[in-house]
Amino acid sequence: MTNDREARHRLADWFSQWRTPLRKFLARNGAVRTSDVDDVAQEVFLRLLRYDRAELIEHPQAYLSKMAANVAAEWAIRARNARPHASKWLVGLTSRDHAEESAAHAEVQDEIERALLTLTPREREVLKLQFFEDLSRAQIAARIGATERMVKRILASSYRKLRQRLDAELLRGIPDERE
Amino acid sequence: MNVSDRRGRSQQEAAEWWVILQGDASREERAEYVDWLRESPVHVAEMLYMARVHGTLDQFERWAQQPTDGADRDGDGVLSLPMASGSARTPVSSVRPAPRHAKLAWPMAAMLLLLIALGALFFRSFDGEVIQTERGERREVSLPDGSVVQVDPETRLRVKYGESVRQIALENGRALFRVAKSPHRPFRVQSDNTAVQAVGTQFAVEREGQSVRVTVAEGEVAVLPGSPTFRAGETKHPSQPASGGAAQRITLIEDQQVVIPASGSAGPVRNIDSAQALAWAEGKLIFANEPLGAAVKQFNRYNQIQIRINDTGLASRPISGVFNADDPQSFVALIEAMAPVRVTRAASADIEIDKAR
Repeated sequence: MTNDREARHRLADWFSQWRTPLRKFLARNGAVRTSDVDDVAQEVFLRLLRYDRAELIEHPQAYLSKMAANVAAEWAIRARNARPHASKWLVGLTSRDHAEESAAHAEVQDEIERALLTLTPREREVLKLQFFEDLSRAQIAARIGATERMVKRILASSYRKLRQRLDAELLRGIPDERE
Repeated sequence: MNVSDRRGRSQQEAAEWWVILQGDASREERAEYVDWLRESPVHVAEMLYMARVHGTLDQFERWAQQPTDGADRDGDGVLSLPMASGSARTPVSSVRPAPRHAKLAWPMAAMLLLLIALGALFFRSFDGEVIQTERGERREVSLPDGSVVQVDPETRLRVKYGESVRQIALENGRALFRVAKSPHRPFRVQSDNTAVQAVGTQFAVEREGQSVRVTVAEGEVAVLPGSPTFRAGETKHPSQPASGGAAQRITLIEDQQVVIPASGSAGPVRNIDSAQALAWAEGKLIFANEPLGAAVKQFNRYNQIQIRINDTGLASRPISGVFNADDPQSFVALIEAMAPVRVTRAASADIEIDKAR
C-alpha cells in the first residue's frame, strides 16, 4: 500500500541528490551558471548507450540520476570558466542577504502558483492530494471516485503541462531541494 | 514531424513514463523505458525536466490555498460518486491534511551518489589495532561502539578502546570520524602532540607533515594541543592532565576548522564550509582555482592509475570543480577539454599528458 508513496519519494530523492552538493559548492564560489539540461542529457544519452542494458533495467532512474550527477560535475568546470549565467532564480540560493533571499523565494513560489492555476481544477486537486496530503494513487482514486488508471492519466497530463508552462529558466536552474 | 512536434510528443511520453516509474514498474516496463531513453537525447532531457517539475511541486508551499472547486465538473471522464464529493468520507483516506512528508535527513556520507570502495572491518580486540591504507585505497571502518571511520588513502591509524575512553592515534594521512554517542566514554583522537576529544559528533583529523588540521562537520569537539600520544598499555582517563600540561583548549563547533602547526600553538579558528572541506571523506575532490599539477597530485593518491602532466605551463593552469576521486578518466576528459593536449597511456596504464604539437 505504501509502495507507491515510497517509490515516489525514492525517485524524487535520487534526482534531488544530483545537484545538491554541486550547488552548495557553486553557490559559495559565485559561479551561478546553471547546468544546461539539454547538454547534460546529450552526454548522459551517450553513456546510457555504452552501459549494459540489463543493468540499466534493474534501476533505470537511479542510473539516470547518477550519470546526470557525474556529467553535471564535469560540466561545472566549463561553467566556471565561462561567463557566469545570471539566472534570476538562483539569487535566492547564492544571496547571503536574507531579505533578498526571501523575495526570490517568494518569486519562485509565485511562478509555481501561476503555472498551477493554468491547470484544470481536477488536475490541481490530484496534485494537491499527492503533494499536500501525501496520498498514494490508490487513495487518490478512492477519494475522487475514479480508477487508478484515471489518476495516472491526470498526473501525466499535469506533469506534461507544467513542463511546458513553467518558466524554462526555472526548470533548468532550480535545485530540487532547498537547504 | 517537425522538431517542436517531436519535442511535444517526447514531453507527453516522458510525463507518462514518470508516472509509471513512480509506482512499482514491472521489468517489462522498465526495459521498455530503458529502450525509450536510448532512442534519443531528447527523451533523456525530458526525463530530467520531469524530475525538475516534480522537484518544484515538492518545494511548493502554498498547496493549502490552491482552489480545486469545479474539479468534479471537469470533463475528464471522472465520475465523482456522491460519497467522494464535498468532504471525503471514504475510510481509506484521512480527512485532515496529513503533515508534509518530512524530507529525509541524509547523513553527509549517504547524501552524495558515490563510487566508494567500502570495506568494513569489525574488530574484536583493540590493543592498538592498526588500520592502514595504501595509495588508491579508501576504507570505511565500523567500530564496535557504532562509530564509523572513513579512512583516506595512505593513512595509518591505531585504535585502542578502553573502559573509560575510546582512543585513536592518527599517525599518517587523514580520516573522518562519525562518533557514536557514549557520554561516559569520550572519544579521543591523537595526532602528533594534539588531542581532539568528542562525545557524539562528526569531525576530521588530518596530519600534514608536522601539522594537524581538525575540521568539525557536526557537533562539538575540544582540541588540546600539547597532549602527547598515548603509548600502548596506557588507558589514562583524559580528565587527568596530560604530562607537559595541555595549556590550550580550543572548542570547535560545526563548520569550524583549526590548524595546529608543529610549534604546538594553534592557529586561528576558521569558519569554513565543512561539506566542501570534507568532501574528500566522501571520495570527492573539490578544487577551487587550484593549479592543475597540485590537483593531479591529490588525485593520484586515490588511484592506482597515475596521471602525469609533462608540461609546466599546463601544470600551473588553475582548475575548479568537483570530481569523484576514483574516476581518473573523467578527470582526464576534463583536462582534454581545457587545453590542446596529447594523452598517452604508458605500459603501466599510467596516463601521460603532454601539450599537443
